[in-house]
Amino acid sequence: MKLCKLTACLVGAALIAPVVAFADADLEKLMSNPANWAAQAGDNYNQRYSQLKQVTAANVNKLQVAWTFSTGVLRGHEGSPLVIGNMMYIHSAFPNNVFAYNLDTNEIVWKYAPRQDAAVIPQMCCDTVNRGLAYGDGKIILQQADTNLVALDAKTGKVVWSVKNGDPKLGAVNTNAPHVFKDKVITGISGGEWGVRGYIGAYDLASGKPVWRGYSVGPDSEMLIDPAKTTTWTDGKVAPVGADSSLKTWKGDQWKTGGGTTWGWYSYDKALNAMFYGSGNPSTWNPAQRPGDNKWSMTIWSRDVDTGKVNWVYQMTPYDEWDFDGINEMILSDIKVKGKDTKALTHFDRNGFGYTLDRTNGALLVAEKFDPAVNWATGVDMKSGRPMTVAKYSTARNGADVDTKGVCPAALGSKDEQPASFSPQTGLFYVPTNHVCMNYEPFKVEYTAGQPYVGATLSMFPAPKSSASQQEGTMGNFIAWDGGTGKIVWSKPEKFSVWSGALTTAGGVAFYGTLEGYLKAVNVKDGKELWKFKTPSGIIGNVFTYEHKGKQFVGVYSGIGGWAGIGMAAGLEKPTDGLGAVGGYAELKKYTDLGGSLTVFALGN
Amino acid sequence: MNRRNTVIPGLLCLMLLSVGVAKADEALYQVKDGYKVDANTLQGFRTWRQAACDRCHGANQEGMVGPSLIDSLKILTKQQFKTTLIEGRPDKGMPIWGENKAVMDNLDNLYAYLKGRSDGAITKAHVQPMDQ
Repeated sequence: MKLCKLTACLVGAALIAPVVAFADADLEKLMSNPANWAAQAGDNYNQRYSQLKQVTAANVNKLQVAWTFSTGVLRGHEGSPLVIGNMMYIHSAFPNNVFAYNLDTNEIVWKYAPRQDAAVIPQMCCDTVNRGLAYGDGKIILQQADTNLVALDAKTGKVVWSVKNGDPKLGAVNTNAPHVFKDKVITGISGGEWGVRGYIGAYDLASGKPVWRGYSVGPDSEMLIDPAKTTTWTDGKVAPVGADSSLKTWKGDQWKTGGGTTWGWYSYDKALNAMFYGSGNPSTWNPAQRPGDNKWSMTIWSRDVDTGKVNWVYQMTPYDEWDFDGINEMILSDIKVKGKDTKALTHFDRNGFGYTLDRTNGALLVAEKFDPAVNWATGVDMKSGRPMTVAKYSTARNGADVDTKGVCPAALGSKDEQPASFSPQTGLFYVPTNHVCMNYEPFKVEYTAGQPYVGATLSMFPAPKSSASQQEGTMGNFIAWDGGTGKIVWSKPEKFSVWSGALTTAGGVAFYGTLEGYLKAVNVKDGKELWKFKTPSGIIGNVFTYEHKGKQFVGVYSGIGGWAGIGMAAGLEKPTDGLGAVGGYAELKKYTDLGGSLTVFALGN
Repeated sequence: MNRRNTVIPGLLCLMLLSVGVAKADEALYQVKDGYKVDANTLQGFRTWRQAACDRCHGANQEGMVGPSLIDSLKILTKQQFKTTLIEGRPDKGMPIWGENKAVMDNLDNLYAYLKGRSDGAITKAHVQPMDQ
């Protein structure tokens, strides 16, 4: 690995403090200008909200295609491009090509095509997606599938530095977007189905040098947990976690292959100097093999950005029995929670509960179902913070080689990685959701390094109709959610899971994509559909917006894939009475096929 | 599920109900009621499960990210099947299983199970031992 030439290193070292401060301020400035889309969520709070308001609820029906771009790769396309000034940075699914595209001239300025060992493809669970790029300090940061974290000169595409973040031979690969917080690049790891022990890592933005790494499970020192200072919600209050908080909840050495991977979207609060993210499922999916709470898998984390030290943790699903992987994004907002002004963190978990916590200390404030179909737990005990589970849906209680039927949600959750949006205008969250249940049969597996370590067979089907307003057999909803009270404000059913990241704008519009390939615009007030357009393939990407030469553009990747897109078309058993229109996902073939393109819209004249 | 299914009841079943075996001289697999199978075929199913093949090929082998094995096993010879597992097709997402002992030790069993599924003789993906 070539970090830098000697002279460049010396210059870098001499300038390091001012450069860093400048880089931080520079990105902040770029993000504050709504003409740019300078980070995957548009900002550090994960709000996915834009101040742009040329496109409004009144005129959105006049949106037309402005231009399109093919990435040349026909696989699932998640994330979105970045826009900085007159440049757009576009990424593709594996092999993770990057294009720098000049919006003035409509030319590709440079293309970066990494050479990656194809052996990582089979290790990428649920399709070869990549969730996009980050920008900071004049560099485009790419987190390749083979775990190489690469900084490219934004002007030339030349590699500035490259660092290896994990060992693909052990099943550790990357699908997540890297994030630039302050003077650091933050990235995670995938591989929970290979027994990878999850971690989050910080690398120096200027040099790529590793700064800190904090594991999700294991000894306190490796998680960067201070038993006396790190806190959690317990017995109705925030209290220190105590010594060996993770080790005590695993049998023997099982934490070493214990999962808790970190492939979601992270957020950052500058005032608290803290970052927030979720850790994933414990490995294996067979709970009988790993008795205990398996801390701190399935957990919301707050860490100090400079040191990685853990401020607080909150475990949502102790002793997971359903693969309710807790990696979904943490959205920061300053809202009223139960009537009180709060520095809030809101999270829509795979387990079907929408959580709001006080992000300053991790106090649990709200935990309510965001899909009425959720049945594995009746609710969350607000004092202990633990879910109140329902015995008949406990795959651990029912045991290995027993098919536990009708668990809602399915393993892909009431919501998966597809990020929600928060509109400060309405104070509501706009959430793309799944409405799918499952049968889950755990079985014993042996751990072999670098081999699959799954341990359950699943079949999924549309959730049963749970209210009169619902249509039979729908598999998704786009909902508006009040994070301060934990209530669904409105819900718009979709035929398939909504697996696209949402965008809200100051124009009063919420956008999302559908698996059939429609980009849709709805009114933030009532969810009324205002406009739709059928793109070349199913949408699992995130909607983004920018302004160029005085015109607002709205864009999205299409390219079906991911767990929902391809995975769900199969795995369905024969239709069972009372479970709705099983086979619905197979119907996706009627609407779309593989793709890999960007479609950009603007108002027609 | 009982793992200690013995050979003798399996053989008895075979003699009583010689079903599901398409024309082969030697029985590749035995199946009763569409889902009760001999010990080797059952081992093939367990190997399929341990290696998490369903994540790409579908819980019913009907194909997802990976191709339908119901179809593929009609085309591939047994040797081609084995080669595909040993060498993988990494660029298409098929892992190299050559270094996975559990899979390598069970190539014949895996073939028997999947062939039975492809032939339509094994009607349920989730098979059970014959002696139950």
